[in-house]
Amino acid sequence: MPSIVQGFLFVLHPMHFPFLVLGVGLGIVVGALPGLTASVGIILLLPFIFYLDVSTAMVMLCGAFCGGIYGGSISAILISTPGTPSAAATVLDGYPLAQRGEAGKAIGVATIASTSGGIISTFCLMFFAPKLARIALEFGPEEYFALTIFGLTVIASVAGRSLTKGLISGLFGLLIATVGIDPVEGYARFCFDIPDLMGGFSLLPVLIGLFAISQIFVQLEMIGKGVKKFDQKIGKVLPSMKELKKLLAVIISCSFLGTFIGIIPGTGGAIASFLAYNEAKRWSKDPDSFGKGNIAGVAAPEAANNGTTGGAMVPLLTLGIPGDVVTAVMLGCLLLIGLRPGPLLFKENPDVVVAIFAGLLLANVLILLLGVVSVRVFPRVLRVPPAMLFSIIFTLCFLGSFSLNNSTYDMFIALVFGVVGYIMQKYGFPVAPVVLGIILGPIAEDALARALIISRGDWSVLFKSPISIFFYVISTLSVIYSLRRQFAAKKAEKERASRD
Amino acid sequence: MGRVEIIIGSFLVIISAVFYALTYQFPQQTLAFSPKIFPRFVSACLFIISAVLLLQGITRVRKGSREAKPGLRTNKAFMVRLFAGVVMGYAYTRLLPVTGYIVATPPFIAGIMLLFHEKRWVKIVATSIITTVILYILFRMIFRVPLPRFSLF
Repeated sequence: MPSIVQGFLFVLHPMHFPFLVLGVGLGIVVGALPGLTASVGIILLLPFIFYLDVSTAMVMLCGAFCGGIYGGSISAILISTPGTPSAAATVLDGYPLAQRGEAGKAIGVATIASTSGGIISTFCLMFFAPKLARIALEFGPEEYFALTIFGLTVIASVAGRSLTKGLISGLFGLLIATVGIDPVEGYARFCFDIPDLMGGFSLLPVLIGLFAISQIFVQLEMIGKGVKKFDQKIGKVLPSMKELKKLLAVIISCSFLGTFIGIIPGTGGAIASFLAYNEAKRWSKDPDSFGKGNIAGVAAPEAANNGTTGGAMVPLLTLGIPGDVVTAVMLGCLLLIGLRPGPLLFKENPDVVVAIFAGLLLANVLILLLGVVSVRVFPRVLRVPPAMLFSIIFTLCFLGSFSLNNSTYDMFIALVFGVVGYIMQKYGFPVAPVVLGIILGPIAEDALARALIISRGDWSVLFKSPISIFFYVISTLSVIYSLRRQFAAKKAEKERASRD
Repeated sequence: MGRVEIIIGSFLVIISAVFYALTYQFPQQTLAFSPKIFPRFVSACLFIISAVLLLQGITRVRKGSREAKPGLRTNKAFMVRLFAGVVMGYAYTRLLPVTGYIVATPPFIAGIMLLFHEKRWVKIVATSIITTVILYILFRMIFRVPLPRFSLF
């Protein structure tokens, strides 16, 4: 594999570096805007990255990914509205700090912690990913099938409040994935003699519809509900060396915690940040000050949620299994630009892999620079009128869908999935499992077909390999864990209701 | 909430049953793996889980439980706005190949801005024209996407 120096040389090239800056900048802005998540930022970039070479496209996506996760903290601190779900824990202490006139310091610490989390997690990615990929190279189709089944159990983890609805969303995605010409015999399934359906549903318009257009409809419903504004002083941005020294232990430990959680499929930034917040509170000498504006309450979740970025890339790049919603979208993007994540990526595209590593490291350095320099611009970003913002995004969504095949049919598909995504969100059906189903469905079917054809129809081949059995066992454990978590949440909710 | 679950559950039970039935039209198996295996498995699972949702809905309605309402409340004015947004989107997809990008885009942007309660005409006109031009430069000139042009024939 090429060395990381080559990766740095590639990313820092004048023809590539501006795309990283653009990715990070757009990620921060989109992440900061309430209602638009890091996933939306990545999806909005997709139409443009088609025209870039694969490595540059990946570098830009990595920038948007890291920037988007960090950007969520800005609105969390300034207006008590997390820009992304992973910044929800940052509100608890970030907003009280802003109310005390220390918004600048809160953003400064969030920026330093995010950078630390991102860099530590990228080093872990660089260490673990090639080793895991080497093991995964030994996988045959039956092991791949078991692995994809494990990937599909992530649905249970991202299902939200209702496992039934999460499963329905995932199965809906799997069913959509079966539309079009089947990969083995070439038979047109569920096409109803409509030529456009022969190729199935293109991933880009589906992603744009489910994540971006549906969000525009959601925002349409929010009109007149009073938008919070930040009208206080930003104050001093960087913390003193003494304060930073005090926070160092929290930042580093939570960066590792976030990385570890990110590696586990089905977790993600939101879980990592709350867990880190609780740990920081538990180990603090002054736990009572948490929730009232303790700066460690900002550092811990921010280090952890950006720590998940590199962590979540481990299963994504080595096994092709997304860890959470954003990485599910990233997986879709990788497939769209012609990369197939998995162990072969390390063998066939080592230059892309090192560009990703270098891109992630430099993206986090850029977060530090852009975060500190543009801290006084952030309140203005939050003041962009929704009418202007969402009309531009709507047009961008349509043009992005059109640019895939230069076809208005894809625009129509994006609109249809926008409506479907809105209805799903409205009635509590999570949209992330649909994407997992659409992406992992064909991979699972392909692996199953190859395993059965090689074994001449012997189904028992799926359960013979110890690696397959290992994946089935952890799939079962993953579902049991999700079920237990949901039962516990429901029980706690009932207890709270009875207390009230 | 129970009623919504009954409606969506029933709808999905029917859809999954239809998809399962459609797999009988697929050709007979020639290889060790048939194109009907995966769709059948998925539609059968969807049928079962949708039936569970339907039962959950029926149980809730019977119990008259006051489950938490959906996160977003619907009102009539919003439904009109949502419908208008979808119609505008659909009209844009139909008009784009006919009138071309330059003609179809400004009215679409202006329409969406009006839906978002923007009342200042100067802002609406400026935003629609500037956005149209910037996106044209970006897609047509930089990325060379052949955006539709106005054509009588």
